[in-house]
Amino acid sequence: MEHATWPARIVLIVFSAIIVAAVLSAQRGRKLFIRRIPGLTAIDEAVGRATEMGRPILSSVGLGGIDIITLQALAIISSVAQTAARYGNRVLLPIADPVVLPVAEDALREAYTAAGRSDIFHAEDVSFLSERQFAYAAGVAGIINREKPASLFLFGTFFAESLIIAENGNRIGAIQVAGTPSTTQIPFFIASCDYVIIGDEFYAATAYLTRQPTLLGSLVGQDIVKGILLALVVLGVLLLSFGQPAVFNFFEDKNLALMQYFRKMPGTGG
Amino acid sequence: MFRPVQGPAVWGYIIGALVASGVIFFLLTLIPGRFRKPLIALITFLAGLFYALEFFWPTGRDDTNFLTPFIDPAGQMAQVLQAFALGLGVYSLVSVHLRSIARQRSGWGFSVVLFAALFAIAISGLLNAYRPNRYNQNVFNFFFVGGLQALDSTMFSIIAFYIVSAAYRAFRIRSVEATILLSSAFIVMLGQVALGQALTNWLPAEGFGANLRVENIRTWILTRVNSPAVLAVDFGLGMGALATALRLWLSLERGSYFDREL
Repeated sequence: MEHATWPARIVLIVFSAIIVAAVLSAQRGRKLFIRRIPGLTAIDEAVGRATEMGRPILSSVGLGGIDIITLQALAIISSVAQTAARYGNRVLLPIADPVVLPVAEDALREAYTAAGRSDIFHAEDVSFLSERQFAYAAGVAGIINREKPASLFLFGTFFAESLIIAENGNRIGAIQVAGTPSTTQIPFFIASCDYVIIGDEFYAATAYLTRQPTLLGSLVGQDIVKGILLALVVLGVLLLSFGQPAVFNFFEDKNLALMQYFRKMPGTGG
Repeated sequence: MFRPVQGPAVWGYIIGALVASGVIFFLLTLIPGRFRKPLIALITFLAGLFYALEFFWPTGRDDTNFLTPFIDPAGQMAQVLQAFALGLGVYSLVSVHLRSIARQRSGWGFSVVLFAALFAIAISGLLNAYRPNRYNQNVFNFFFVGGLQALDSTMFSIIAFYIVSAAYRAFRIRSVEATILLSSAFIVMLGQVALGQALTNWLPAEGFGANLRVENIRTWILTRVNSPAVLAVDFGLGMGALATALRLWLSLERGSYFDREL
């Protein structure tokens, strides 16, 4: 079983506190700025294009179960669905994990209801295909070729099926926006999709799309924490370059308690 | 922590668990609407707190703490809940395709094939598991190994062709970035194969000249350029996942796919 080391405890608790503090600060009305993310700006364009062409939109949350990545992907797709609902358009959402199915159906139903168009929501547009990776890929490819969606939104956990889905979308000329934390699949999406959101932009997407204070605050918290991490990396490089490898041992040694470490430091009497 | 139960007592436990689940579900439906969201938030917080405490609480010499024995049962409970969800998945699949057959939509024949395949593999799988003999095993292998696995392999092999078409588009020299991408990919590919390595094997294996051998340039690109970039992306992803997890755990976020913030 994995357990936190002392450095992990300190770092995670401090980082969590910073993020929560930023969220609470934003909820109290602090004004926050968020930079433009081209892949997310393209969502309105992609939804508008589908409406003009009279074709549906296809989304996928990949193969992930109910985890942070899938919930974030559903949040993004829900936002897309809300925009699509305002234009009176359909969003098809084939699912690979049966546990995700009711959550996804509920998310899309609420998105259509929030847009005041619950009348055009069809539960069968959110459908379970298969838990098997390539059966799912074949199913999505089939839907793409039959329904000819004008836009594809691929957000979530993807593996080798990413290219099958994205290339089929490319073949029918759909505008494609993708984002995944699976770093090995990002090159495939870049080669096949029109817009790809990379890295932590995936987690920034909901903040960017909804501009809710909670999400914006969380994003600012993330950025502060990333800044601290970057400073730690630079500090680590300098210390290692100038002969202080003890700092690295401190982070690597699983069983070395923080106080023991400080006691053992030269010059502390340890 | 929990001992497996053997014999007829198993049925008693199963029926007891079903009755208890039914009672809990019924009680949940009686909860007034205004208390449902706080209840969900409380359960989410407690479940998250359990895993967080188990991870952060200091451990003894055997690398366990007072919560570690409960981790496996908690995971098994989650598996049971997921098993219920599989029924929902099958229901969704069946209802979509039954409707397709009933309304004779275009391609409804494929829905018939789906049902035929569903029943064929389910029946052959059950027969193979509970009446194992050579005939049942052959029938099951015909559908599973000869059918399903072969189709899986076919889909996987198609990726090779998609990679070629995607790579062609990505490597077309249209910009500075595409040129850098093409050049580095070309060097990495050369460094990966014997023919490419043969091009520079006349250079010394040691000393400054060794840096110009194609396999060493490939290694430099992968370890000094590619890996740091991937690690940087992973750093950002890690922080994003931490922030999202905190928002969900503390129920700070309700607005994206729920109706409003709490």
